Amino acid sequence: MPDGNKDTGNPVIQLRDIHKAYGDIEVIKGVDLTAHRGDVVVLIGSSGSGKSTLLRCINLLETSQAGEITIHGEDVSWKNKAGGRVTSDPDQVRRFRTELSMVFQQFNLWAHLTILENVIEAPVTVLGKNRDEVEESGRALLSKVGIADQADKYPSQLSGGQQQRAAIARALCMEPQAMLFDEPTSALDPETEAEVVQVIQTLAAEGRTMVLVTHDMKMARDVASHVIFLHQGKIEEEGPPSEVFGNTKSERLKQFLSSTH
Amino acid sequence: MCSDPSSLEGFQWLLCYLTTAKHMQFYGSFGIVMLLLVVTVPFIMVFGFLGALARRSGFAPFRWFGLGYTSMVRGVPDIAFFLFVPIALDQFVEFSRHKIKCSDSTEPIYQGNDFVVCAAAKMPLGSAPQFFHEAWGFTLAVVAFAIVFGAFAANTIHGALMAVPKGQLETARAYGMNDRQTFWRVHMPQMWVYALPGLSNLWQILIKATPLLFLLGIEEIVYWARELGGAKTGFFTYPHPDWRMWYFMALLFFYVFLTWASQKAFIWLEIKLARGMTSRTTGVRA
Repeated sequence: MPDGNKDTGNPVIQLRDIHKAYGDIEVIKGVDLTAHRGDVVVLIGSSGSGKSTLLRCINLLETSQAGEITIHGEDVSWKNKAGGRVTSDPDQVRRFRTELSMVFQQFNLWAHLTILENVIEAPVTVLGKNRDEVEESGRALLSKVGIADQADKYPSQLSGGQQQRAAIARALCMEPQAMLFDEPTSALDPETEAEVVQVIQTLAAEGRTMVLVTHDMKMARDVASHVIFLHQGKIEEEGPPSEVFGNTKSERLKQFLSSTH
Repeated sequence: MCSDPSSLEGFQWLLCYLTTAKHMQFYGSFGIVMLLLVVTVPFIMVFGFLGALARRSGFAPFRWFGLGYTSMVRGVPDIAFFLFVPIALDQFVEFSRHKIKCSDSTEPIYQGNDFVVCAAAKMPLGSAPQFFHEAWGFTLAVVAFAIVFGAFAANTIHGALMAVPKGQLETARAYGMNDRQTFWRVHMPQMWVYALPGLSNLWQILIKATPLLFLLGIEEIVYWARELGGAKTGFFTYPHPDWRMWYFMALLFFYVFLTWASQKAFIWLEIKLARGMTSRTTGVRA
């Protein structure tokens, strides 16, 4: 059951006019983003364009200062505090996070747990699921990403590509409504990168809802249903990949695409 | 057999000599040292954790207390604390008991240089068996050790908590863990790897600090070695020349063995706890 069973017709993720600043430096200046069920929204842009920050605003690892974040039709609730707003309902924040599994650039597998333990940790601890059942689905997910034989090793014993695939299995084991990928292939060497790209392509083909930040234009083209090009914290151009890549309008995106080739 | 030592010779004499009541007390004092170590360590860890958590607290007065505690103990000679804490604690308890039990007393507690409380406020009571006096003295010693070594442990634990990579904790939160789950499931298990080298060092220092018990009036092994080893004239049942060197050599072996064995145990523990985190910890112990 790829995307769980919540189908309310509402977008899985909806951002409206998101603003985010670090002190006086505004890094996101009013961004909208909508991911319906089965959408693969890919965020591209040069370093510092705010794409990773935007992704981290979605699962509330970063606090945006203005704008609305709606998950499955439910608004994130905020309260005002000196120096800006903060989330007001910790239970809601944690619930949303369990519905939006994150895959990090640096994998961030928990170093003291084996691969299988990493995969089942949050489903057991946070979702309170039965350990034996989760272990079974965890092993199945590890074979899905092609590292079933690494289940009992520790993260440090695996290559980067294997670690990232384990991290994807960990994200899948939460049975999330959507997956957030933060430059999942940027820390990998070209050989292992292909393994991870292949897994992400499989997930996209399965119709999973994903928001993906990447520098890999080939992957963006392959998996995206919608591409957003961010420039200096604003959406410079967006649309289906055929339009954005095949019929580029903005000069900045043309420059960006030619520089990444 | 040992009823007339003057008639004994050689091995038999030595056997009788080494089993006198005083020697038995000497052997017992090894037990006292071990008991102090065993009893104190849990308190040190509790003080260490409380100190470290206070320093990380979001509540400013706790933070100040934590920082004050660790800085003060680290900045003052240990011996000053070992002398101060038991006296202060002893007087505090007796003072409080005096106020409660002898509230009708008109006698001042501080009479010139003397600290005088009523008989009922004595800790333990003058009529209590010798054992209670020794146990009370021992308790004061445990508290003094726990306060001093707890501050060092707090520092080590504080540093170890900070050393856990932020990404590991952020990931826990990103997967919906609350603060408590993040702390117990990720932060604590990883913290040990960074804390253990410091705590192992602290344990060795603790072993070596046990002779300070002597300062607190507890007859521990160094006291007895000096007592028994000194030259004994013909007035004594077992006269002998100055044998302190031999006694101290025995202590030397005892301490070396204890520190060596615990070093082994810590290395084993470090390897066990560092499983999976080896690439980051091999630098600690080659």
